[in-house]
Amino acid sequence: MADKEKRRSAALPSGMSSGKVVKSDSEREFLEQAGVGDLLRGAILKMVEARSDDPIGFLADHFCNLASVTDSGTAGCGDEDQQQQQQQSTGLAGAGAHEQQRLNRALWHLRLAHHSQRSAFSNNVRVAYDLLNLNGCLRQASENPEGPDGSCLDVPPDAEGSGGVKGGLYTQTLECLCSEGGVPASTSAPLLRRLCCQDHEAVPYDVFRHGVLTCAVFSDYIRQAQRLYAEVCCPDEGPATRALCSAVLGTLKEALETSQDCDANCFVNANAKSSACLEANAKAIRYLEASAKISPHKLAQAMAGAQTRGPGGNMDAKEFENAAADLFIARVKVVS
Amino acid sequence: MNRLSSAVPAEQYLADSQVLFYLNDAVTQLLDHKEEYTQFGLVRYFAEYFSSVKNSNHVLFRELNYIRATQHNRASFIRVFWRCFRQIGKSGDLLSVPEYRSLLQLLCPDFPLEAVQSASRIVLADDISDGLMSFSDFIYAFQLQFCYQEFLDSVQVIYQDLLAGKSPNTVIVPTSSSVEQLVSVATEESDREEQQQDAVDSSTLAECVDALCERFKHSCPSRTCLREVLEQTDKVSYYGFLQSLANHESINQTIGALPSKEELLIDPEMDQELDKLIAQISVSPGSNSSGSAIGGLKEVQRRASPRRNIHHRRKMEVESDGSTEETDSSEN
Repeated sequence: MADKEKRRSAALPSGMSSGKVVKSDSEREFLEQAGVGDLLRGAILKMVEARSDDPIGFLADHFCNLASVTDSGTAGCGDEDQQQQQQQSTGLAGAGAHEQQRLNRALWHLRLAHHSQRSAFSNNVRVAYDLLNLNGCLRQASENPEGPDGSCLDVPPDAEGSGGVKGGLYTQTLECLCSEGGVPASTSAPLLRRLCCQDHEAVPYDVFRHGVLTCAVFSDYIRQAQRLYAEVCCPDEGPATRALCSAVLGTLKEALETSQDCDANCFVNANAKSSACLEANAKAIRYLEASAKISPHKLAQAMAGAQTRGPGGNMDAKEFENAAADLFIARVKVVS
Repeated sequence: MNRLSSAVPAEQYLADSQVLFYLNDAVTQLLDHKEEYTQFGLVRYFAEYFSSVKNSNHVLFRELNYIRATQHNRASFIRVFWRCFRQIGKSGDLLSVPEYRSLLQLLCPDFPLEAVQSASRIVLADDISDGLMSFSDFIYAFQLQFCYQEFLDSVQVIYQDLLAGKSPNTVIVPTSSSVEQLVSVATEESDREEQQQDAVDSSTLAECVDALCERFKHSCPSRTCLREVLEQTDKVSYYGFLQSLANHESINQTIGALPSKEELLIDPEMDQELDKLIAQISVSPGSNSSGSAIGGLKEVQRRASPRRNIHHRRKMEVESDGSTEETDSSEN
């Protein structure tokens, strides 16, 4: 971080002095007063964290986002409390629009980092949650500090009495994540049924995080499945043979089962801090095993095996996608 | 999202994105026009600046150095030029080099003549002082020349070396200083008529050019494209080579500023406007005091007038509303 700051301040004077004869102090003062340095530093850090493919577009969105936040009043608790009280008098329309705006902003935050970038993704989920959480500021004091695997911590149910994201908003967020990730509504419906919460419920942070993470992973998974199907099936020859598809799906299933076990271990050992290190290793090994099962070599073996057995008709892309989705969804915990 | 982003170090990512350059320019502009830009707040200023960069609206009326600084800026400039002046293509007018330069100067006050001359050589390949070019021919040649200028200069040096009979092994990939010296010699020579008949062996040129691509990375046409063009003939002349490149669709697509040749002159909004006005005029022919028709006609002329005497009107038109649709009001 320090060298980024250096670079920013180094870039600034050099850029200016090349254009002007003398770099005036009044200009530097002006910039300092206006807080330009902090603004730009924050923007650059966000940009480098997100590593978007379109850095300029990212910055444009970032500043526009920021501008709309400052324009529309703050996202602070004051307004939201007032809003809650006034909800009956101002009518639901105003609140609905405001909510939509918050949802959009939260989604924007969630899109910033890929779920494989653990810390960045966790930060963004936190920000999104706070945005959507009506009573966020009041609850800050009582929040549990976030561990590296938030979903593993057991949070006592009573702590959520006074706040949490509205169930309806939470479900909407998940729906948007899935559709943005390229998953058709029919495929994601069963997943959402497992993850969703009632409209009136207050969703605690780790449920929120679990849901968001699952949807993000699911979108990737479906995209992978689609790609897998495309590899297996040659478009000119029509849909791929059923046997081949089943073989591929079987490999997927095995891989998921292997990684599932390591999640289970994680839950069991959550409170044993001393064995945290061992746990991490065990997890890593399990993930490696799982990825080995899905390696091209294994897949090729499975496919070769399938071709010797008699084909039983064809499987088209949609069916393949649904079957893959089922495998995944079967492993998702139902939110209760 | 770039999943392999951890492989790219932060400095590299920053450098490749050229964001620091744009931030530098944004702050410089801010300081130059403090009162104007701080009216709506700093955040809004940066939001508008970067939105205009993203939408390629940022190069209008900027100085040459800014426009040339990044590939994105160059491509944006081509696009702006196209949007402002495509009506010329529709009218079928042929313009000369100084005329095209005047048009360019409307968009960029310090646009140099040499760049226009180099572009026109791609189209005309011989004595360019009297040559007339169609809009469509000119713009594709100009695009190639403007976006890949440094690369093309180096290619020319290589070409001259090959022509002079040096074997490919001794053809050194020129450094920037040597290019400057040799290009000035090369352009003098190429004005002579014999030059057009000269040609070198395509495959040799292809080898040398391929080596050049290493150095230029994103500031040159793709290797496959270059190879394709050079495979078409056994012998190739420099301007023949450039002509093929200029008309090559994949180069056009890579730069991304212009549509394909068939769609270059399509401008549905303008067509609608003109149709409306023509309808109005034909209803009240030879109108003298018919305010709306005259007002309408003046408006058309204000927006895009491909008449001979375009320069004065063009200046008014461009300065008042810039390109046909989006103009970022925060820019000059």
